[in-house]
Amino acid sequence: MLGRPRMPRGTAGRPATNPPDAAARSQVGPLPAARAGPQKGAERNRPAAFLAGIWRSVLPFILLLVAWWASSAALHLSATVLPSPVAAARDAGPLLTEGILPDYATASLKRILFGGGLGIVFGIPAGLILGSNRLLSVTFTPFLKFFQALSGIAWLPMVLVWFGFTEKTIQAVILYTAFFPIAFNTMVGLRTVPPRFAEAVRTLGARRWRLVTDVWLPGSLPSIIVGIRLGIAYGWRALIAGEMVVGAGGMGFLLFQSRSFHQTARIIDGMVVIGLLWVFLDTGFLRPVERYTVERWGMEQR
Amino acid sequence: MRRADAWLGILPFAALVTGWWMLAHSGRFSAATLPAPESVVAAAQDLASRGSLLPDILGSLTRLALGATVSIVTGVGLGILTGLNRYLADLLLPLAGFFSAVSGIAWIPLAITWFGLGTAAVTFVIWNSIFFLVFFNTVLGIRSVPRIMEQAIRTLGGSYFILIWQVFLPGALPHIVSGIRSGLGFGWRALVAAELIAATNGLGFLIFDASHFFRTDEILVGIATIGILWVIMDGVLLAPLERRTIQRWRTVVEP
Repeated sequence: MLGRPRMPRGTAGRPATNPPDAAARSQVGPLPAARAGPQKGAERNRPAAFLAGIWRSVLPFILLLVAWWASSAALHLSATVLPSPVAAARDAGPLLTEGILPDYATASLKRILFGGGLGIVFGIPAGLILGSNRLLSVTFTPFLKFFQALSGIAWLPMVLVWFGFTEKTIQAVILYTAFFPIAFNTMVGLRTVPPRFAEAVRTLGARRWRLVTDVWLPGSLPSIIVGIRLGIAYGWRALIAGEMVVGAGGMGFLLFQSRSFHQTARIIDGMVVIGLLWVFLDTGFLRPVERYTVERWGMEQR
Repeated sequence: MRRADAWLGILPFAALVTGWWMLAHSGRFSAATLPAPESVVAAAQDLASRGSLLPDILGSLTRLALGATVSIVTGVGLGILTGLNRYLADLLLPLAGFFSAVSGIAWIPLAITWFGLGTAAVTFVIWNSIFFLVFFNTVLGIRSVPRIMEQAIRTLGGSYFILIWQVFLPGALPHIVSGIRSGLGFGWRALVAAELIAATNGLGFLIFDASHFFRTDEILVGIATIGILWVIMDGVLLAPLERRTIQRWRTVVEP
């Protein structure tokens, strides 16, 4: 379970022709360690330890709620500065029943899945092409690094001029943001696959396509997954920022609109939902992909 | 070989600028939609001569430095404590896991509510987006220090302070520096977004303000500046720092 790519020195030992970017190697989301506790317990003594695990991860949030409630009550803060948890919960009711929250949440989720999906569809083939040849990858490394570092949010004003305050603007920004980390990491991953494997498969008479599906894709998969996680993480943040500026619905728009009306309770509700949606994306989409590919094929790096 | 590689790296950029130049002069797009490369250079000179580019750059960099300093101090400090203490880890890691999912840009509206438009709100957002990466990587770094080293220092009678200063901090340093480097990457993105929305100067404000007047040439100046500044920061400051730290303190043994 702890077999996520370990950070710096896993790659530092290699003759790094293309040292992967630091951002590509570091943890983006929560640590494996954050989850390791309960899971280890669950293996030892299932039901009791499982409950204890849930309790252990829920208790901090209960304590946080209590601290939040106590500070908003003790400091007599106005509802615009910091509403009490009760007020925030009360405000969540109409958001849910009026259908604003479900609409906006699905809008954001659809956008990230569509934009991120496009990023994967274009990014992986681009990375495979660039990584297939040493000269190509050397040539394009600075280019990809530059545009990976140059956030999609910076392009937002430019894209606004091109496409206006529309869906297209948000999609373009997410696609841009997700594409470069995925393409770059795919390329880097492919360069680290020992050429001997490809030679062996070729000697056995495989065609180019078999080479891609049997050697290149599985070999570069750990790196591709890192790229996808990074791309979706960057994309999610760009999405929130884009929705705040463009204002065509979505969670970012909900937050920004609530601020204009000084509805701080709604802002907090929106933030909680953004956090939950990310946890959902991460555990429901990104981690299963990792589990069914990288860990299953035994490609994890230690 | 290395120099040849560097020259090769320029090729895609040259191709991009050439393609852009050809597209801009094809007459298919107006100057407001797609300004030519040379008019972007002219806009940069114009902005610089009016003395408005440098203050924006300095404003953005100051906020980044401020936010980064606060996040490094708080992230490393809290990370060390959390890495060493089981109870604190049980308490903070689930919370931090959740809050890192909401970190950065989503805090912009609340930051404006609390601090008003300006440097304080932007700095808070930057702190928020860098802190969790530094924190998580510090915890990971502390936990990767072999127990035997801790036991050795303890056996020799080292105090808790010496243990932290001479064992855990150096042992965790490569992880910490990696965390700082990728944290700053997130921070720089969040900075641009926060300035877009919550500031009255800075590079993010520059490009957003220019978009109101359809000054796409000025927008592109801003975008290029944002990209080039990051390349300089990462290439001159952060990447060498990371490399040196890993070389100097390669004390951590991979299990």
